[in-house]
Amino acid sequence: MSSETWKCLWNIARRETYRIATKPMYLFCIIIAPIFSFVFFSTLMSKGLPTDMPAGVVDLDNTATTRNIIRNLDAFQHIDIVTRYSSVTEAREAMQRGEIYSFYYIPKGTTEEALASRQPKVSFYINYSYLIAGSLLYKDERTMSELASAAIGQATLLAKGATEEQAMAFLQPVVIETHALNNPWLNYSVYLCNTLFPGILMLLIFLTTIYTLGTELKENTAKEWMQMANNSIVTALSGKLFPQTIVFFVIAVFYNIYLYGYLHYPCNSGIFPMLMAGLLLVVSSQAFGIFLFGLFGNFRLALSAASLWGVISFSISGFTYPVMAMHPLLQGACVLFPLRHYFLIYVNQALNGYPIIYAWQSIVALLLFTLLPFFVLKKLRTAMLHFVYLP
Amino acid sequence: MNNKPFRHIIRQGLTGLIHICAHELKQVFKDQGVLIFFLLVPLAYPLIYAFIYTNEVVRNVPAAVVDMSNSSQSREFLRLVDASADVKIQSHCADMEEAKTLLKESKVYGIIYIPADFSKNLATGKQATISLYCDMSGMLYYKSLLLASTNASLTVNEKIQIERAGNTTERQDEITTAPIEYEDISLFNPQDGFASFLIPAVLILIIQQTLLLGIGMSAGTAREKNRFRDLIPLSRHYQGTLRVVMGKSSAYLLIYLIVAVYILCLVPHFFSLVQIARPWTLIAFVFPYLLSCIFFAMTCSVFIHHREACLMIYVFTSVPLLFISGISWPGAAIPEFWKIFSYLFPSTFGINGFVRINSMGATLNEVLPEYHALWLQTGVYFITTCLVYRYQVTLSRRHALERLHIFRLRMLAAKKQRKQTT
Repeated sequence: MSSETWKCLWNIARRETYRIATKPMYLFCIIIAPIFSFVFFSTLMSKGLPTDMPAGVVDLDNTATTRNIIRNLDAFQHIDIVTRYSSVTEAREAMQRGEIYSFYYIPKGTTEEALASRQPKVSFYINYSYLIAGSLLYKDERTMSELASAAIGQATLLAKGATEEQAMAFLQPVVIETHALNNPWLNYSVYLCNTLFPGILMLLIFLTTIYTLGTELKENTAKEWMQMANNSIVTALSGKLFPQTIVFFVIAVFYNIYLYGYLHYPCNSGIFPMLMAGLLLVVSSQAFGIFLFGLFGNFRLALSAASLWGVISFSISGFTYPVMAMHPLLQGACVLFPLRHYFLIYVNQALNGYPIIYAWQSIVALLLFTLLPFFVLKKLRTAMLHFVYLP
Repeated sequence: MNNKPFRHIIRQGLTGLIHICAHELKQVFKDQGVLIFFLLVPLAYPLIYAFIYTNEVVRNVPAAVVDMSNSSQSREFLRLVDASADVKIQSHCADMEEAKTLLKESKVYGIIYIPADFSKNLATGKQATISLYCDMSGMLYYKSLLLASTNASLTVNEKIQIERAGNTTERQDEITTAPIEYEDISLFNPQDGFASFLIPAVLILIIQQTLLLGIGMSAGTAREKNRFRDLIPLSRHYQGTLRVVMGKSSAYLLIYLIVAVYILCLVPHFFSLVQIARPWTLIAFVFPYLLSCIFFAMTCSVFIHHREACLMIYVFTSVPLLFISGISWPGAAIPEFWKIFSYLFPSTFGINGFVRINSMGATLNEVLPEYHALWLQTGVYFITTCLVYRYQVTLSRRHALERLHIFRLRMLAAKKQRKQTT
């Protein structure tokens, strides 16, 4: 590269830095919005796993045994028995008011029937309109019901002269030991923040990249900008976007340090691969932004498409609802979203600490995204030199 | 001015209001950008989302098995796991290393390990353990694996208990295995599905976000077209703040009454989501929601100075707003500070109320706090809209007066010059 090109690059980068520093919109999109989101999500889910979720009880039996069951239920990690209701209708209404997520129903005569070996039936009602709360409560209430049954069985066995060990072996011959690999606390914040942060950053990079290109057209400065680059679109783009790459990479480094250094979320690969993944995310998102702008050639349409892509990413990348459960069409479409690949790299690296070779497809995919602008360079050049802004 | 009869003012106001309303409607339908937010996004977005989550639940999560015991009991356990809807046994591995490789290649999301002493322990009347290793990249994998293996173990346990108890009748067997029976009942989302849980919240959020975007964009456009970059044009009809606010908001309301019917009634119907709302409750609830969203969006629109700025500012907020509403993250676990922060947005109350009305069959009585909050927001944001528009009206008047002043000065100067020359 000739020294002149370097000079052009330097001048454009300087001009761009000045633009970034003087326009409040950049301040908002590059600094305020990402940092706000990082702080927001991590403090919102600071509990990790929700505990003490409000639940109710309808105890029509009201004996020492049932009261004991309820006390034990209350002692579970996720359950907080807030109210006792006198009927199922009352409890259901409380659920519709959103006061409780679930209630445990013990019909009249339960204790008596249990003692007389007539097999009474208890039930628990769970509101799955709140899926996370519902699932957690289900787990605890089901365990409690098993335990209640076992307690009676144990009492019978002990009375017959069995030792405690024998009794347990009889009541629960097969035990399942669960190992939640690399997130043994079932921390939802670990599970969500690691993909939400880059997702938000990616969305903002899409928008900012398109915004920088679009404002050149809109403010009629595109020609001046192209002249600074001797009408070479490659020089113009690299000089313009390089300062942003640096700033966004700093933000990516920031969230990595925040997640793995400050919050101590699992990072079994060491932080370096995640920083590289962050860099890859920044560059591929910028490239995708350029591509969208080139493709549509219209500022507003490109922004709308970027928003669509960025927001859909959160759902289609499969970190909440797995890709394997989606329609086959969407399983194919999900490779078109950079966040999907970043998510897979994160799972491979930070979460599980596997050798990077197992994630090669995702890395290649992100690298392919960075090549996208080459398809639209010519169109972009024409646009910047000859087009006028269309609202 | 003040001597005009009251009736005249009212009549003038109403004409202005209707003029502004019609003008705004015309503007919306002329502007492709705004039209995308008001019509295309509300039409297409719910469909995309519902399509993503349409399968509701995860089925057949692939798992690897390391069966060191290889006994009839262990095989029975595995058969039961495989038979469940949640888990599919993808491969039988010779040892843990092989299974781990499959896990690394993401071919399986869990390993079921049955130790060599499994059947020996069972035969000697000791507790036998089965280890389950779950990949934690998705909570739903973990949930499926845990559920399937727990259910299988309960079934196996029951059989073993019956064998050991040596009862004479079947009824006795039942009582030995379960002295107390239990039953779990899923209310309001019978298949524990993802779509029925998330889509109602997304639908309500789409209404607020598209209003923010659309109103923001039309405000940005109005400013860009205006000679002084003001929000309000200087025209006879745009004299009173009240008629500007009412005129514009009624235009948006007209559009969104139709959009809301589509989003809140037809979309859940297309994808057969839970929909047990009482029509009048729904109408009574959605009306203040639309109003509060419109006034909220109009208040926020004063921050939008360019056409495209609305996208830059509003789009990313959708994700935090969905989380703060108390649907995806349980409301009981939201810190107090964020809870109070969430009261600023109509979507918080809208989502909570709508989910309860639509999915849980609540009546207006059960969502009274949300209903009142929405009316309160409508009132507050109406006042703030009036205040900011009032400010904008005076601003545009001042700009016009300044302009007039400059014009006059110029005229005077020109006259003087002419005099001097003559």
